[in-house]
Amino acid sequence: MTTRTWRVLACGAAAVLFLGAQACTDVTLEPESTVTGSNVFNDPASYKAFLAKLYAGLAVTGQEGPAGKGDIQGIDEGFSQYVRLIWQMEELPTDEAVIAWNDDGVQQLNTQLWGSSNQFLGAMYSRIFFQVSLANEFLRETTDERLSSRNAGAELRATIKQYRAEARFMRALSYWHAIDLFGDVPLVDETFPLGKTAPPQSTRADVYRFVVSELNAIRGDLPAAHTAEYGRADQGASQMLLAKVLMNAPVYVNENHNAEALAALQTVLGGAYTLDPNYRHLFLADNHTSPELIFPVPQDGKHTQSYGGTTFLIHASVGGDMNPASWGIDGGWWGLRVKPEILQVYPGGINSSDVRSTVFFTQNQTVAINDITAFQQGLAAPKYRNVTSTGAAGSDPGFTDTDYPMFRLGDAYLMYAELVLRGGGGTRAQALAYVNALRQRSYGNATGNITDAQLTLDFILDERARELLWEGHRRTDLIRYNRFTTNGVWAFKGGPKAGKTTESFRNLYPLPATELVTNPNLKQNPGY
Amino acid sequence: MRRRFVGSLIAALFAASPLYAQQTGQITGRVTSADGGRALPGATVTVSGQTLRAVTGPEGRYTISGVRPGEHQVTATVIGHTAATLPVSVLAGQAATANFSLQPSALALQGVVAIGYGEQRARDRTGSVQTVTPEQFNTGRVVTAEQLIQGKVAGVQVNDTGEPGGRGNIRIRGGTSVNASNEPLFVVDGVPLQAGGGIVSGRGAFSGNPNEIGDTRNPLAFLNPNDIESVTVLKDASATAIYGSRGANGVILITTRSGARGAQFTYSTSLSTSRVARQAELLSTDQFRSAVQQYAASNVALLGNASTDWRQEVEQNAGGQEHNLAVAGTGQAMNYRLSLGYLDQTGVLRGTDTRRFSGAANYNQQLFSNQLRLRANVRGSRIVDHFTPAGVLGSAFSYAPTQPTTNADGTFFEWADANAPNNPLADLALVRDRQNQFRTLGNLEANYDPSFFKGFTGTVRAGYDYNQIDRTIFNPIAVRGSSGSVTRREPSRLGTVLDLFGRYARALDGLDSNVDVTGGYSYESTRDEYPVYVATGLFSDVTGPNGSIQANSERNDLSVQEWRLASFFGRMNWNLKDRYLLTLSVRRDGSSRFGPSHQWGTFPSAAFAWRLSEEPFFPTLGPLSEVKLRASYGVNGNQDFLNYLWVSSYETGLSTAQAQFGNGFVSTIRPSAVDPDIKWEETTSYNLGLDYGLWNGRITGTIDYYDKRTEDLIFSVPVAAGTNLSNFVTTNIGSMKNRGLELGLNARVLEGRGGGLSWDASLNAATNRNRLVRINSVGGVERFLAGGISGGVGSNIQVLQPGAPVYSFFVYEHIRDANGKPIYADTNNDGTINENDLYRDLNGDGQVTEADRRALHSPAAKWILGHTSTFSLGSWDASTTLRAYLGNYAYNNVASNLGYYGLLKGGAPRNLSTSVLETGFQTAQYFSEVYVEDASFLRMDNLTLGYTFNGIRGVDNMRLYGTVQNVFTLTGYSGVDPLGGVNGVDNNVYPRSRTFSAGVSLAF
Repeated sequence: MTTRTWRVLACGAAAVLFLGAQACTDVTLEPESTVTGSNVFNDPASYKAFLAKLYAGLAVTGQEGPAGKGDIQGIDEGFSQYVRLIWQMEELPTDEAVIAWNDDGVQQLNTQLWGSSNQFLGAMYSRIFFQVSLANEFLRETTDERLSSRNAGAELRATIKQYRAEARFMRALSYWHAIDLFGDVPLVDETFPLGKTAPPQSTRADVYRFVVSELNAIRGDLPAAHTAEYGRADQGASQMLLAKVLMNAPVYVNENHNAEALAALQTVLGGAYTLDPNYRHLFLADNHTSPELIFPVPQDGKHTQSYGGTTFLIHASVGGDMNPASWGIDGGWWGLRVKPEILQVYPGGINSSDVRSTVFFTQNQTVAINDITAFQQGLAAPKYRNVTSTGAAGSDPGFTDTDYPMFRLGDAYLMYAELVLRGGGGTRAQALAYVNALRQRSYGNATGNITDAQLTLDFILDERARELLWEGHRRTDLIRYNRFTTNGVWAFKGGPKAGKTTESFRNLYPLPATELVTNPNLKQNPGY
Repeated sequence: MRRRFVGSLIAALFAASPLYAQQTGQITGRVTSADGGRALPGATVTVSGQTLRAVTGPEGRYTISGVRPGEHQVTATVIGHTAATLPVSVLAGQAATANFSLQPSALALQGVVAIGYGEQRARDRTGSVQTVTPEQFNTGRVVTAEQLIQGKVAGVQVNDTGEPGGRGNIRIRGGTSVNASNEPLFVVDGVPLQAGGGIVSGRGAFSGNPNEIGDTRNPLAFLNPNDIESVTVLKDASATAIYGSRGANGVILITTRSGARGAQFTYSTSLSTSRVARQAELLSTDQFRSAVQQYAASNVALLGNASTDWRQEVEQNAGGQEHNLAVAGTGQAMNYRLSLGYLDQTGVLRGTDTRRFSGAANYNQQLFSNQLRLRANVRGSRIVDHFTPAGVLGSAFSYAPTQPTTNADGTFFEWADANAPNNPLADLALVRDRQNQFRTLGNLEANYDPSFFKGFTGTVRAGYDYNQIDRTIFNPIAVRGSSGSVTRREPSRLGTVLDLFGRYARALDGLDSNVDVTGGYSYESTRDEYPVYVATGLFSDVTGPNGSIQANSERNDLSVQEWRLASFFGRMNWNLKDRYLLTLSVRRDGSSRFGPSHQWGTFPSAAFAWRLSEEPFFPTLGPLSEVKLRASYGVNGNQDFLNYLWVSSYETGLSTAQAQFGNGFVSTIRPSAVDPDIKWEETTSYNLGLDYGLWNGRITGTIDYYDKRTEDLIFSVPVAAGTNLSNFVTTNIGSMKNRGLELGLNARVLEGRGGGLSWDASLNAATNRNRLVRINSVGGVERFLAGGISGGVGSNIQVLQPGAPVYSFFVYEHIRDANGKPIYADTNNDGTINENDLYRDLNGDGQVTEADRRALHSPAAKWILGHTSTFSLGSWDASTTLRAYLGNYAYNNVASNLGYYGLLKGGAPRNLSTSVLETGFQTAQYFSEVYVEDASFLRMDNLTLGYTFNGIRGVDNMRLYGTVQNVFTLTGYSGVDPLGGVNGVDNNVYPRSRTFSAGVSLAF
């Protein structure tokens, strides 16, 4: 080659190198239309927005109500709503409810014949741990160290102290659901690094103790009972949760903590809450005005939209000859009814003078169920309505305003009575008074009152079914009474139309099959 | 030269009529290449000793009129081929025929194929590359360019939809990915079309997320197929590695037409009519009525007295027309081509039509004694689409045939029950779904051969691709169940590309070699904007889609995304003794889709070919005239998925997803779950090939065997609970394998001389075995469900499972009676009919659960066969294309979703699939293998008959043709279309049509 050729080549090479050194090899681009982790907390309002997401995690399914940008994947977003999932887990396998639909896996919830790949179980597990992870991340982002690095002022720090306690409450709530449904789950807190390393499996007892200690630890940082803003946790919510966890300790850890449970319950029984004079009001579109709610999951037709929560409960329980407008909605989904056996807890029959027996809809509905998928077989119990106490429809016929009453005083009264009967202290007289207070509300007078002799554990279980029908407690109650699997027979339990007992391992749901693969540390629950 | 040519043309025209009077004759014929028999347009045919001459048209045909009777020497010349001369004797008043089959000329001028950043002699190629030229293109109703090559290339599946302009899919040697795209990279005149090619959502529900751009419009819809000069498919990794991180799914290079020799106008037009080829089989009115009487007696009162075939009500005969006008010419050192096109095509479903106006200009200029060559290309098109409202087809299937379309007062009939489907005619009449698209693509290219640096060519190419869309969907309040909504989206994307590369070629005489080296740099970037406006709960319908007088809620979103790709690439071809051919290439890509530590990847390839037939020891006797062996290895990437997956961000919530705090509502933020270490998918491929020719190329063929393994599949996978901020994270996990064999055969079966019958036949066959090897990091048995179906929310019928082909159907094994009929009875006498009665308990745990579902059959065909025959006899020509898929399965979702008597209950009985007459199911059995059917088929895609007129004054060439598409389909599949639906899930797919078209093309 000639010298000139070399020169040309050298120039060309230099040109390429020059280009290479400059912007032409810079291909790093960061999003312009979203907020990144590095700058989000430059705005102090972000802390509240993040905390709001922890609460919204119970009520909505993603960042675009009613659906869109879902929080968890692998399931239809509408199915993934927290309340809808836990309600189905707690109600469908029991005598209280049956659902007509054919969505993959939902029929197995009716019959207790679920397997570990059931999509609803998987979604419940994911939803629980979504809440846990989010709370952990909130706690990581709000340490003193982080706040100092962002020059947070004293006022902000004080606010965040309460936020942190609320985040820990939300985490404890989800961990309670986790051990109640799944047993031994991993215990992941904010000290666990975010990344791909799978956490070890903890025992149900470890997580139980963690929940109890957390709830005790945060109490002082939370506002007094019934003083927090509506929708947020205060000591009423945290002590009610603590009481529930302790009351079920015989199931979780084979220990008796009834006395401590009863002590925790005193916070909510101390007068901060009062019974709603009108039982039906608890399930209406303006139930946020009820003095009885301890911890609701607020819903709103405009601002808090999802296909779960009471939007699901109201739509799914309407069908057949019902006029949807009477429930304040645009159409029924023809889904939920009750199994025939639950009607046995109404000794006076349905539509008796007990207002709680009037929630049923019977027109063209048969009591018996031959075909689970036929809505008009099985009595309907459309207890929740998107209509206010003055009869006005909710703000949107597609999405309801009715808040889900996760914890309420009526429940606390019956817990008190049960704890007394189980030797947790307190007095039978007070227990009887609480029970009769509920019955007087239901009957409108003292005709429904019971005597001390009638106050038995069996009575309490039936009273809970009457008072708390379709409020998401039945499975846990039946397990505490040991009547969920090896005892108790109702339609379609175990498969046959007549029902049969099932094996005791079904007191726990299986860990999701997906989870067993992604986390090799996990051991499946026995029997699955 | 041009002036002289035009002058002689005019002279010839003027001279023609008196010469006829003197009893002259004509010479007609066709000029083709001996290499594959393709037509050679633009060839000059001269008669010795006379000024008479002609230029061949698009089909390679020519006519010379006014030839004196007697013996003549006629010569055909065209660049790239050796000129040939034939003796012809012309009789007065008659047409003599002279067909030329020109040998490709040696070395530099020989036929070249595009290979990406350059060209290569066809005979020197080392990789698996196949070019399809216009005379091989499918004809008839061709809306988008990929239909041109359907059935033509072994290993290339072109599955179009029945919807004009709708997105089908193209798979080259099977898919390599699950979550990233499986579509090949399209490169138009050197400008790569952006990932997926388009940016707009098509029909279907608006996801609400502007970042989720599920594109159902065809990425090639903007391109007028008439402007295409050739389509080249790069199949193996050695051919695609020069496209590095985007080559894993193969590359399709589209070269558009440029100016031919001499000034020439061409005009072509076609008219077509299409009908639905096959309808879903549903109960007749009488069958439906008696089914209601038997299974839902309480609903008999709801039935009307009408007999409506709802399918026919929503169908129509679809008309189409197309006009293309082009002018091309050459000058002293330039050539140009201008073209205009118009296409108007309605769909076989009412409410669908697409109209395209397109224009293109191409200009080439040579400067400084051909040292500098400039090439400019610009094209633009405007496409106006109307879409059939989503749900119309589904409603038409399930609507009770006993109900009238309209009530006595002229209003549309609607059921009282809120859960009933909408009257599809009402939706058709009321819902508006329209899209306007403007897309323009252009590039400017300069090639410079410096005189002081012999053998070097430097190229600079700058290109752009601008795509702008507005889509408006109006759901009036008048639609039953609608609160009224207007949705308007106006996505746009500007892409730019700059390529700088040089090529140096020289002969190394001492080594008896030719070496050619290409190296360069490329920089691409795009910027997308996605404004969205949604108003719901309209106050009134009166302003239609053009306004929202007052809406219950309004939403505005804007999101902006950018993408960048910077690359260095190089390639060396070494030709030793014209026998041993070596190609090495490498590309280094940096992409903004990955975090700073994973941005850059290197993609090498090597290929070797041996032209055995050039060896001295190769026997010259026997039929074998050419043998070439090829072997290649290469690595490709795939980065065709969303931007910013590596960046942790906080997603803000809308005002409809707030948390209630007190009496107020608080908007939320949510941290996203990301894997900051996400990187490319990498596909490593091996290819072994054999090219052979018999009887001097009368029969040619190729055989290729390949093995591709994709690692680091980008997958949205579940992660262990508690470890990340969601239950799924998109990360690199898993691997997939594809192995296959491809056979191609071309034969000039009959070589009709002197206008006799000629018959060219080509046959291709391909088999591909796909297997998902691994889909998680820890190696346990894991599966993901996929393939959503109608029937139950969130139901999936397919599975991604190691060891099985991707998207295998995932079903229960239905117990069958002695006659092979699936049972439907309470076999375990527990008072209810459920899974335990009907399906096999495969794991023997005493009950039927999801654990008893298994992967069964794959939607991918085991063998895909294609055949094309082209006949010509005198001025007549005919061709046909046949295609067969063997061993592919489909899930008949129409049958499963409408296949049980339970649908007759409820507030509005639905019509049923006739499958229920055989199965007798009363409840839905979505996951029964009964609905997974063998969908093998044989289809005659195309049958064309044409006639070329010669000797029309002032016209160089005129051809009339008629085409039938989808002439017949032979299949045992019971559903509408064995190829319907994505991945074999046949769910209310846009009906496939049978199309009759006629057209004429003129060159003058």
